[in-house]
Amino acid sequence: MNDEAREDATRELDVVQRWMQAVITHPLGIASGVESPEARAELDVDTTHLESIVARSKALTSVERLAIYGNAYYARLLECMRDLFPALVDALGEDLFDSFAFSYLQQYPSRSYTLEHLADRFVQFLEETRPELSESTGNEADDSGEPAADEGAIAATWPDFIIDLARLEWTIDQVFDGPGVEREAPLTAERLMSIPADQWADARLAPVVCLRLLAFKYPVNDYYTAFRAGDDAPIPDPQESFAAITRRDYIVRRFELSKPQYELLSALVEGRTVGEAIADVATFCADVDTLAGSLQDWFRIWSVNGFFQQIHLPPDD
Amino acid sequence: MIPPRLGYDRLGLGVGLRSVHFQHILSEQPRVDWFEIISENFMDSQGRPRHVLDQIAERYPIVMHGVSMSIGSTDPLNRDYLAKLKRLADSVQARWVSDHLCWTGVAGRNSHDLLPIPLNERTLRHVVQRIRIVQDVLERPLVLENPSSYVTFADSTMSEWEFISRMADEADCGLLLDVNNVYVSSVNHDFDPAEYIASVPHRRVVQFHLAGHTNMGTHCIDTHDGQVIDPVWELYRLAYRLAGGVSTLLEWDAKIPPFPEVHAEVMKARQYIDDAHPGLPLAPPASGPEETDSGGIPQPLHLIPAEVE
Repeated sequence: MNDEAREDATRELDVVQRWMQAVITHPLGIASGVESPEARAELDVDTTHLESIVARSKALTSVERLAIYGNAYYARLLECMRDLFPALVDALGEDLFDSFAFSYLQQYPSRSYTLEHLADRFVQFLEETRPELSESTGNEADDSGEPAADEGAIAATWPDFIIDLARLEWTIDQVFDGPGVEREAPLTAERLMSIPADQWADARLAPVVCLRLLAFKYPVNDYYTAFRAGDDAPIPDPQESFAAITRRDYIVRRFELSKPQYELLSALVEGRTVGEAIADVATFCADVDTLAGSLQDWFRIWSVNGFFQQIHLPPDD
Repeated sequence: MIPPRLGYDRLGLGVGLRSVHFQHILSEQPRVDWFEIISENFMDSQGRPRHVLDQIAERYPIVMHGVSMSIGSTDPLNRDYLAKLKRLADSVQARWVSDHLCWTGVAGRNSHDLLPIPLNERTLRHVVQRIRIVQDVLERPLVLENPSSYVTFADSTMSEWEFISRMADEADCGLLLDVNNVYVSSVNHDFDPAEYIASVPHRRVVQFHLAGHTNMGTHCIDTHDGQVIDPVWELYRLAYRLAGGVSTLLEWDAKIPPFPEVHAEVMKARQYIDDAHPGLPLAPPASGPEETDSGGIPQPLHLIPAEVE
């Protein structure tokens, strides 16, 4: 065959690429990848004739060489997933976490040029699949931690712990590298406290762009704090909890919230006036007097910690 | 005096910027000639990574090195990605923009790996056409690196050095000659690395890469997790003599030691710089490590972890 004829005989590049991607990303390995319908649809070659596509080296067969890419594909992305969810890895143990992440990567393979989006749908995946407690048999938490509650009792809500913790860690990651207000001046406590009392009720508070409010079924913010401190915390009992996540000076900050605080801040973030937001919270608050007595402190603490960007006052009559 | 290649200056001996060294670089301001960044770590950043980069770019020359251009893919070029790349390059006054001769995915997917292409006329035409488009968008010559690879294709009709030589000439682009990758691929594909180094068009080499790798016995993996081994240093000596005094950059991406150790590793390059460029003080003799036999993941693996209280 002359050079020209040889070139004409080369396969279309897109066919080779679709084939190779199907082969090296197959969860069961190269041999299964080569035999998969996706790969055979591109190049109808079995493993015994693989050298017609991928040459062997002196030391390795075609399958062994392709396996370097196949092994690296999942190993690399699982390592990234572990880096994104260190507390969840600690809670589940690496093997169990990897099994969830491995399934996730098959369900939602990366379609972005950046690894920053690798876990965009991981929380959604956990919500869709709600991994069962039985899947955790033998995991690190069961082995090392004291059972925080009767296993049967927590079985029903066990997926919520995983989902909550994943959501907290993903939010932290998003806030860390997302938009912030380091180059702007957030609303100060002094400015907030200087608002005339008669304008408070109709004022609206705009949150900083990096403020996130989270409601959990498990106390995962406490769990995360214990993880950060290096404590060997057991999986906690289910308990409603709330947190605000924001960023100052390029560092992510976490704040535990009570339910009324969470509801009040949520209403403000939705654009309700201060008066409307307080009224909303008062409807389910058993002790309205205590609520009223706490409000000034809450707003002071939130403004000291830079929760609000600005205040919009009603126009003068 | 060596004239700039494609208008790109000789920057000296640089280090790949990694987030574990951010604080050291900001506080100690080490005497480093230049830094190379992973473009994708910063092009979307609105937090600390970008804030740190802006400060470092005020003091040091910056070169942008990407891992997701996917110049060899048959998917359409990502125009949004290219626009962001250009915006970042303009913003940090990047001295040049580089990526790899590879594809990273197809049908919309990204493997986040640097995958090899069949080296033939068909692929060459495809890659050259895409380089020209990228250069039009970026409004500067693109610099492309030879990646480490682990397979070769039955459909390849030319050597890698012939492919990149013709690619660089036809597309009028620059080359980032990764000396470690030449060594790794030479082991994996049974060719002579010195022939590779000798055969590339030296006038198009803008930059060298150096890094450590992992020897698995039957093959090598480009892990960037250790010191440069002596055979790679010897190839570097050859490359430097043939290509001249172009910018040299050390990559260290796994098991990353403290910054002074990384910096000291690239400074060993002085020992291998040819007599044609006298006057540079010599570093202590390099004591290259024995090749290790541990497992590893081929680079790239680039993710900046969040900082949280």
